[in-house]
Amino acid sequence: MSALLEARDVCKSFGGVHAVHHASLRVEAGSITALIGPNGAGKSTLFNCISGFIRPDEGHIELGGKRIDRSPPHKILHAGLGRTFQTARAFTRMTVLDNVRLAAPSHPGEQIPTLLTRVGASRRREREVTEQAHELLRLVRLDTHADALSGTLSGGQRKLLDLARILMASPRLILLDEPMAGVNPALREDILVHILDLRRERGIAFLIVEHDLGFVMQASDRVVVMNEGRVLMDGTPDEVRTDARVIDAYLGTRA
Amino acid sequence: MSILTSGEFWAFVGVMAGIYTLLTLGLQVQFGLAGLLNFGQVGFMAIGAYTMAILVVKAGWSMWLAAPLALLAAALAGVLVGLPTLRLRGDYFAIVTIAFSEIIRYVATNEDSLTGGSQGTINLSGAGAAAQYDGSWQRFQQWLGGALHIGSKDVVMLIVVWAVAVVLLAATAAAARTPWGRVLRAIREDEEAAASLGKHVFGYRLQALALGAALAGLAGCFYAWQFSFFSPDDFQPLTTFFAWMILILGGVGRVWAVPVGAAVFGFLFAATRFFDFPPFSYLDSADRAYVRLIIIGLVIIGLIVFRPQGLLGRRDEMVLE
Repeated sequence: MSALLEARDVCKSFGGVHAVHHASLRVEAGSITALIGPNGAGKSTLFNCISGFIRPDEGHIELGGKRIDRSPPHKILHAGLGRTFQTARAFTRMTVLDNVRLAAPSHPGEQIPTLLTRVGASRRREREVTEQAHELLRLVRLDTHADALSGTLSGGQRKLLDLARILMASPRLILLDEPMAGVNPALREDILVHILDLRRERGIAFLIVEHDLGFVMQASDRVVVMNEGRVLMDGTPDEVRTDARVIDAYLGTRA
Repeated sequence: MSILTSGEFWAFVGVMAGIYTLLTLGLQVQFGLAGLLNFGQVGFMAIGAYTMAILVVKAGWSMWLAAPLALLAAALAGVLVGLPTLRLRGDYFAIVTIAFSEIIRYVATNEDSLTGGSQGTINLSGAGAAAQYDGSWQRFQQWLGGALHIGSKDVVMLIVVWAVAVVLLAATAAAARTPWGRVLRAIREDEEAAASLGKHVFGYRLQALALGAALAGLAGCFYAWQFSFFSPDDFQPLTTFFAWMILILGGVGRVWAVPVGAAVFGFLFAATRFFDFPPFSYLDSADRAYVRLIIIGLVIIGLIVFRPQGLLGRRDEMVLE
């Protein structure tokens, strides 16, 4: 079976630094893959290459058999790959609800020609989108803040808003950049449950950069370990946990 | 001080405020909604005015056909300026736009055969013949004045400009509340995040630039009709910065703040003309014209310090978190 996401031999240097050096990874449809490694290992750069924010120097990235490594971020999202950022990127001057509604795909109200010619369809879509947005906000327990400016949310809440927002775009694969950072332990458990539910119920695949190893080992089907721009190994959580190279480079002690 | 009580004079101030409202509304769409720093707005205004005048005089078109085409030409100029430059970072884009507006002015000054050159539109059909582009407009004004029983041309103009301005202000305010406006606001705040949510940032910016340019083109047409004559000197970069002052005075991001800013600016600009008491009376009238700009500058500085959001704006639009 061919993978949903397949990145082969991706290279990216900044000046003389090989941030990502011949890195390859695959994510199967409906699976949860974790990407771990020490700071500066190239995880975020690889994320940016896959999501179109950085054009790789070399390599080949395919999503569902279609090449995406030359596509801009908005086309990659339309192809079915969404992402969040390491620091939450809420639109702080917009309401929480608008943040989520904004992410709705194929909204006729967002294009001037269809906004003017298909007024009824735009309104209907907006009602639909509003309802979905409220549902997603309930999912991440932000429904009571729907009408507040998102700038008033805490850092952890903004992380959750980012998650709700990218779910609104309903991609097949979501790249989460440290979804647990700054989120309190009670909510962490919630996020884990949500991710597992989304995978089971909607078949959404995840590629997750995360330093919380408890979460990584509990949630993922596969773990990819990066170090110094290269993929050190790729295996099941158990294989990774006991691999001597991984322990050396990242885990430090036997986890 | 008799001119201060003259209705004609204040009608003229009101007309200018209306024209500046249209010009600044374009900036509000570009900057207030989409975050584009356009410092060349006057260039689009010039393109609107010249396209209309040239089509009427040289091509013999009806003014009613030439005017919509002038707006289209200004919008198209926006697209042409935007295509190679909108990928630049905000501050670099701003520099390009100011250069663009100067290029337009220099072309208008030097391409005598197309624009009438430095002598202005009177020279449009060559030396010896005084060219007129606003015959239809004069007839329209007379007809409207007759229908409304208004004798003053300036008052008729005042009504027309502000009627158009109010309609476009309402349309812009409505557009800002649509999902389309929501995307623009998102792009203004964080273009990467907007792109990650599937929004074609470049395309939206181009739309905002073109729409704002069309509004400037309309301001150019009204300017041309108001004065029946214009020359490249009417499109100095200072005009763009007057529009920016109005935007800041009124409030960034609030559509209805534009006419308020334009009215206040128009009043300040007109009223300071009559500062003929000491200490202003010690200066001759040419120097007093500069004092006027100094006073307006001080008002803007005071406003930025004490009320950075403008008269009607929201504070979080202008102040960093």
